[in-house]
Amino acid sequence: MKDDYLWDKSGQPDPEIQKLEEILGTLRYQPKPLELPEDLPVSRRRNYFPLLAIAASLLLALVAAGIWLRVRNQSAPQPDQAKVSTPSPVEKKPPERISPTPVAPKDVIAVNNKHRHKPVAPALSKREREEALAAKEQLMIALRLTTEKLSLIHRKTQNTTPANQIKNQHRVG
Amino acid sequence: MYATAEMLVMTPEAHAAEQPQEEAVETVLVKAVLSGDREGFARLYDLYAPLVHGILLSRVPRAEVDDLVQDIFLHAFKKLHTLRDSAAFGPWIAMIARNRAVDFHRRSRETVEINDDLRGSESHESRANEILELIRSLPEAYRETLVLRLVEGMTGPEIAARTGLTAASVRVNLHRGMKQLREKLGFMEGL
Repeated sequence: MKDDYLWDKSGQPDPEIQKLEEILGTLRYQPKPLELPEDLPVSRRRNYFPLLAIAASLLLALVAAGIWLRVRNQSAPQPDQAKVSTPSPVEKKPPERISPTPVAPKDVIAVNNKHRHKPVAPALSKREREEALAAKEQLMIALRLTTEKLSLIHRKTQNTTPANQIKNQHRVG
Repeated sequence: MYATAEMLVMTPEAHAAEQPQEEAVETVLVKAVLSGDREGFARLYDLYAPLVHGILLSRVPRAEVDDLVQDIFLHAFKKLHTLRDSAAFGPWIAMIARNRAVDFHRRSRETVEINDDLRGSESHESRANEILELIRSLPEAYRETLVLRLVEGMTGPEIAARTGLTAASVRVNLHRGMKQLREKLGFMEGL
């Protein structure tokens, strides 16, 4: 079969194909050594497992952090929005005398007032108010004295030599 | 017995014709190269250089073929790790060769190939170049198969196994291509 010769060179040879093979055989591949650069590294299959493992761990950590933050925010108290009301532009009342009884202000800047609600101070009697004012005066005097003493110590320490500084360290502290 | 991509696409007839030892050799060689054996690649080059040469010869000027064969194997050496199926080295490098031929025509300017006639070499070789030009004028599906069969001397089953084409496709390409070539050559009047 001539067809078989064209297919796998078996059977009866086809003279025309043989002639073509003979002529075209001159163009056949002539073995030549492969010239690979010596410094060219051998191609290796890359193992992506470590990179994938690191990426997966990072992703997992990020997801865990995200969940934790979300849970934390949900459990924390939500701050209320500050409510600021502008005063009415025209109303200008003459200065009032401070009334002895505290009056709750009408417009209040309240931040997080859900948890800062303090019970309104009960109305004090005249005697109790005088006592409170006196206590406040005493506290203010004590604070002034302390401030003065601290200023004095500060001035002294500023003027001392390094040797004295070390010596007087216990006093300053 | 190794099961390869070529065997899966081949007919039982082609299976019988194909030598299982050689398929095993190429699979083993690819694995050896991937594990650092440079000599293994030289062996692959010896096995597949005729295939690459034939594919290029059916597409690019003859003077360019040898350099391109070297380039293609150098590229294959660098990129061998991207080959997923070690048994599919043949179809893989055949595809690289075809792409490189397309690339060559895209990049190169129009050139006139100097035939051996002009160089004054033997008439046998000049006749070979004329026939090669006729083969190149055939449809793309036929010219590669014909060059591999008539120039490189490969059989149909070998072409099928190396290129990854089915044996049936190769057979059809060979017969139709040969018929068209005969018409062009005017075999009726004698070669």
